[in-house]
Amino acid sequence: MSVAFVDREFLDIMTRKKIVLEPIANESTRKATYKKRKKGLLKKVSELSTLCGINACALIYSPYDPQPEIWPPSHGAVRRVLTKFREMPAMERSKKMLNHEGFLTQRIAKANEQLRKLRKDNREKEMIHVMYQCLTAKDLLLNLNLVDLNDLGWVIDNTVKEIDRRVETLTTNVEPRQMLVARFEGAPVDDHFPMNRQPWYMNHAMPAQPGQDAGPILPDVNADNDGNMVQNFYR
Amino acid sequence: MAKKSSMGRQKIAIAKIPKKNHLQVTFSKRRSGLFKKASELCTLCGVEVAIIVFSPANKAFSFGHPEVDTVVDRFVAPRTKPSESALSAQILEAHRNCSIRDLNFVLSQLLNQAEFERKKGEEIEILRRANWTKVWWESPIEGLGLGELEQLKMALEEVRRDVVEQSNHLASEQVNGTALFGVNNHGSMQSQNCEEIPETKPLDINGSGPPTFYLDFHRNNGIF
Repeated sequence: MSVAFVDREFLDIMTRKKIVLEPIANESTRKATYKKRKKGLLKKVSELSTLCGINACALIYSPYDPQPEIWPPSHGAVRRVLTKFREMPAMERSKKMLNHEGFLTQRIAKANEQLRKLRKDNREKEMIHVMYQCLTAKDLLLNLNLVDLNDLGWVIDNTVKEIDRRVETLTTNVEPRQMLVARFEGAPVDDHFPMNRQPWYMNHAMPAQPGQDAGPILPDVNADNDGNMVQNFYR
Repeated sequence: MAKKSSMGRQKIAIAKIPKKNHLQVTFSKRRSGLFKKASELCTLCGVEVAIIVFSPANKAFSFGHPEVDTVVDRFVAPRTKPSESALSAQILEAHRNCSIRDLNFVLSQLLNQAEFERKKGEEIEILRRANWTKVWWESPIEGLGLGELEQLKMALEEVRRDVVEQSNHLASEQVNGTALFGVNNHGSMQSQNCEEIPETKPLDINGSGPPTFYLDFHRNNGIF
């Protein structure tokens, strides 16, 4: 990049990019970043103060200026906040006081907790996926160790509970009188397998896992004359 | 089941928030973000900072680099130009900067991994949703009829039985012989209290396992 493009270079560096949490090596970049971020920081303090109607102050000492950057913009205003701060009993002051190490340690603890939760949720999602795969490829179980099997069992139990709840909802909503009327009129009552749906284990459309067979093949009364499975996915 | 955790960016007028709950929530979030920005500024540009905010309940929250008090003192009391900024002070500062760098490194690692897990979760969702249209039993429970639910339940219970059988088989295998002669493929015995983490081969959707990281916080041993 030639000298004429220096400004654009800075722009490229400073637009929304993932920052690396390390001191900036390049001196001019560092100064430019300082100017930009300092401005943003003071703006944020100001907004917080106005939005929430609270007292606040900020002090920034940089190698570029012997005088600190401050907010509120007047020394008097800053002193007032500092006085209010220093007048508090020391214990109260320190309760929510953080230095940089303390702050980062807190952030790490939170990030760790989030990560744990994400991993747990993903594990559950994965296991549900495995559960569905096992319906058509039984031998999949042989690949799993005890930990996986344990989790798989848990996931299956949960799903069965969900099914039970759903069945409960559906059956209690059906008017008993309606069912009676239906029987009288000879209409089939829908508490058996619907005729246009084949049993799960007969779905040849589901490709078997490589190396696994697709499970037992049984004659299916629901197939049409050509042996094709009639499929109807949604009610 | 994609969850939207927030409403996204909303434009807001810079005036005192009328609703108390909203105000409190905003204070919490913005204070946290403010300290984060301050931390980044210090790390990136090597400056000294102190921020003090009072909560709506008049609690004092403060952040300082290197310390709130040193920066405040610098402002309040006239700065005595140190002729020899004690060597020990310099060493101390260098040491602190080192710990801060380490902490930042660990934090970055964790944030990266969280990002990875988030993407992974999305991909699994996409995979699952694709299957909804392929086979009826993988679609959400709410969409299934009574007959289908019954079928699905029976099928799942069969798998459940197989799971129990296979678990017993594996457990007895470990007890019976192979474990006595040294470490087998599965490492040490499964147990709730066991700190040893056996070689697990979780079924990986993407074919690549989770990335390793330098400091091992609370490594999980199955979900439950």
